[in-house]
Amino acid sequence: MPNVDRREFLRLVGAGGVGAGAGFMLAESIKHPVEHLIPYPVPPEEFSPGIATWYNSVCGMCPAGCGISVRTREGRAKKIEGNPSHPVNQGRLCALGQAGLQALYNPDRITGPLLQAGSKGDGSFVPTTWNDGLTRVATELREARGGDAVVLLSQGVRGQLAALFELFMAELGSGALLHYDFAHPHALHAANEKLFGEQQLPYYDIANSRYLLSFGADYLNHWLSPVHYALGFGHSRQGGDGPRGKFVQIEPRMSMSGAAADEWIPAKPGTEGVLALGIAHGIVASGRYAGDDVGSWTTALAAYGPEHVAGETGVPAKTIARLVHDFAHGQPGLAIGGSNHSNGVETLVAINALNYLVGNIGKKGGVVFNPEPPLPHSKNRQANYVEMRALVERARQGGVDVLIVNNTNPVFTLPEVAGFREALGSIPLVVSLSCFMDETTSLADVILPSHTYLESWGDDAPQPGVGFPVAAVSQPVVAPLYNTRATGDIVIGLAEKLGLGDVFPCKSIEDCVRDNWRQRLADGASEGADVDVLWRDVLRSGAWGKNTRREHAVAFDPRAIGSVAVQRPGFAGSAGDYAFLLQPYLSSALYDGRGANLPWMQELPDPMTSVVYGTWLEMNPQTAAQLGLSDGDLVSVASEYGSIEAPLVVFPAIMPDVVAMPIGQGHEQLGRYSRNRGSNPIRILAPMLDASGALATAATRVKVTATGRRAPAVKTGGESRQLGRNIVQTVGGSGSDSHDSPGHSTKLNSIPITVEPA
Amino acid sequence: MSFIDRFISSWHKYRKPGYYEEFDYAWTMSIDLDRCTGCGACVTACQAENNIPLVGEKELDAGREMQWIRIERYWEGDYPNAKLSFIPMLCQHCDSAPCETVCPVSATYHNQDGLNTQVYNRCIGTRSCAVYCPYEVRFFNYYDHHWPAPLDQQLNPDVTVREKGVMEKCTFCIQRIRQAKDNAKDNGRRRVRDGEVQPACVQTCPSEALVFGDRKDPDSRVSKKINDPRAYHVLGELNTQPSIVYLKKVDADA
Repeated sequence: MPNVDRREFLRLVGAGGVGAGAGFMLAESIKHPVEHLIPYPVPPEEFSPGIATWYNSVCGMCPAGCGISVRTREGRAKKIEGNPSHPVNQGRLCALGQAGLQALYNPDRITGPLLQAGSKGDGSFVPTTWNDGLTRVATELREARGGDAVVLLSQGVRGQLAALFELFMAELGSGALLHYDFAHPHALHAANEKLFGEQQLPYYDIANSRYLLSFGADYLNHWLSPVHYALGFGHSRQGGDGPRGKFVQIEPRMSMSGAAADEWIPAKPGTEGVLALGIAHGIVASGRYAGDDVGSWTTALAAYGPEHVAGETGVPAKTIARLVHDFAHGQPGLAIGGSNHSNGVETLVAINALNYLVGNIGKKGGVVFNPEPPLPHSKNRQANYVEMRALVERARQGGVDVLIVNNTNPVFTLPEVAGFREALGSIPLVVSLSCFMDETTSLADVILPSHTYLESWGDDAPQPGVGFPVAAVSQPVVAPLYNTRATGDIVIGLAEKLGLGDVFPCKSIEDCVRDNWRQRLADGASEGADVDVLWRDVLRSGAWGKNTRREHAVAFDPRAIGSVAVQRPGFAGSAGDYAFLLQPYLSSALYDGRGANLPWMQELPDPMTSVVYGTWLEMNPQTAAQLGLSDGDLVSVASEYGSIEAPLVVFPAIMPDVVAMPIGQGHEQLGRYSRNRGSNPIRILAPMLDASGALATAATRVKVTATGRRAPAVKTGGESRQLGRNIVQTVGGSGSDSHDSPGHSTKLNSIPITVEPA
Repeated sequence: MSFIDRFISSWHKYRKPGYYEEFDYAWTMSIDLDRCTGCGACVTACQAENNIPLVGEKELDAGREMQWIRIERYWEGDYPNAKLSFIPMLCQHCDSAPCETVCPVSATYHNQDGLNTQVYNRCIGTRSCAVYCPYEVRFFNYYDHHWPAPLDQQLNPDVTVREKGVMEKCTFCIQRIRQAKDNAKDNGRRRVRDGEVQPACVQTCPSEALVFGDRKDPDSRVSKKINDPRAYHVLGELNTQPSIVYLKKVDADA
């Protein structure tokens, strides 16, 4: 261990053991876990038995990029907690983030390089060596035609790994570098670009807003950065000195955020944008907006009077008038949206217009624009549905020689009609870098398994950011469990086999991260500062930030004002044959399906229904009664593009003509905890698009028919009504003027029990 | 004094309600229902910290779930005025705990810090305590549960792995409390500072609905919370005197 003697080391380990926040790192300190209970003739220098060592890193379970502190004991990871010094999650972490340990220690991980021995998809893999695996892929890469015949399809990556991918593909002369995440908010990006000319998402300052109007954005579940927004929610509700924040959720099916909100308003699916324009109309008409362009707004919104909007959305005019009043006066207020309809981009433009009209752009408690991320990042690489379809078509016509897939699973997260599965059959060499045998990986020819994020080096600048520059370093917290490699090292290994090794500035992703960061720190350091110390500080705290805000005058694009109209949403399937609108939503525990192999997540009851281990279909109780269906009936859900089965769960807060299903289950692969469990609603979605080219996931009509069988979803928890037990108690108003004060309720009941001595 | 006399006198001393009040700490948790979003982060944090077994689909279907903290959900009203409220439910660490009086082998008792503790080695599995508990927060190991390798490497070495036939429940992360007390002692302090110890659920709660501390310290965060006008005890009419104080949900329309 260079530069650190044993005494220094123990001091650091001690510090790490005491303070949860004081993360500590040394690459050299990560050694293999203890395998046997043998007293040490020579005690290991890397840790003190019985004392926990904490490492700060970055969570890799979803794209939010929370900072984590991982507690390790004797070389094994024991617990993941939020990193208190990371501005995104400030010490907090969601359930999925905690379950990262079960990704690391998953019994179904791929333990070393594999080769397809039979034909594609029959699952006959034989182990091989890294040298052999890399050589085979490199040979194919060398023989592949130039141009875009080599495709790299990755989960969204940021920082040095993104830079490595860019460099690698540039060297191969291919522009076909695609990032693919099912839940990537394409429409939101497009709307921001259209209105503000901003490529990055802004920061929504929920913590300081007093009134939040959310049009279907499930910000407490998986919308952009849920842990950060939950912190903001808590703060706005009861943390600030000002009045308690009020939350309104407008969506056809009550989400977690809808349950937490003060008011849930069901609007007809796809009319959220019309409602937003109706509110905008009210704000302009009431004279609340006094900008120079008020004339153009008045013209543009003329068609969105309360009666028209009430008719379109199904929300009473009285409610709209109240929303106008509350939003105009409950400042700072914030309007956010997450539309999955064919008019998604227009809808989000309309919602953003609300923020502009009440003047909360660039303000505390409003929409704050983010600075350029401080780390290298890929621009415009996220593939939408159109681009994924183009890839499929190209592959079918023999235009793709090699496809490298990095930890993304399009076979599972694209509808069946996209034809991704079949397209893989037309590609001569499919290489997967996945940690797990997912559906896409099972169709690969060569599997070069990567480390999990808890075993890899990396860095990350969270997106959307938090309004000021933030970056964090991700470091291995345990020695690699298996014969896997860091994704960056696999790419570098391939480059070396291709004779491109000299092009890369570094020999491993670890070097890339360290060199780049040291350079960055040296550039920003004051005279005489020791870069070693700065670098170690970054590793120890796990996060780096600058307390600057971007000064950015945002003008609403005047051309955009004229075009704020929101079209009626399109739906696939006729209303006659397909009576219901299917609303698939990201499962709280399983996200887009990647959490399905984590047993903790399978056993985590769904927040709304308490269902574990399965998929279900949510239906309005009255509709179910009309159809003669009851809770637990197995129903068939069919669109024009396929059908799946799921047990019915009667759900009190969903519109009568809407049915909802969680995404995440229905895996054919991904290991013992997920295989052949539940069904995947993405499969049957119609290829409906919004203006950004993204899949409109809530635009498919389905019919629901009884199968005559019963298969009740497994639920925990029992009775879902209070039945007068008064377990959850409420107070009116702001909560401060309660007449039955606590003091009372606690003390009244505290009648001392006396025990008479015998 | 004969052994019998000593036994009787200490019996009276320790059977007196509130006998633990003369000790150092009274650990208390406040749960703000106006902040809780029902996300379940606390549930997973608890499972990770306390080696809570995975029971599997079959046992869950039989109602044998094993989560020391759970989110209960209560619907109110019907469409379109349906409302859903979440409430995290865990061992209330009652000062007059019904479960303690019923255990035939004193496997569950009240400790000096006001914690309702469970001694796994003593437990003979009568399940009486679970029957007496009005909050339904005691969980019985109907089977031995195993973690397929290498999932077992995650197990927390500071916490016992329970076996078949043993009742288990929330401990307020007693291992963390012990550690904090030891640290305080090592640093020459008599008391643990406020915020120095947090159970896993409180530590992770994304909306900061959960607050933990010592209610004997008038300046602690939790002391301020329990004096909030919204504070109440769940099933307070049972007079179990819980150490968990809920803060009422605010219903702007009520």
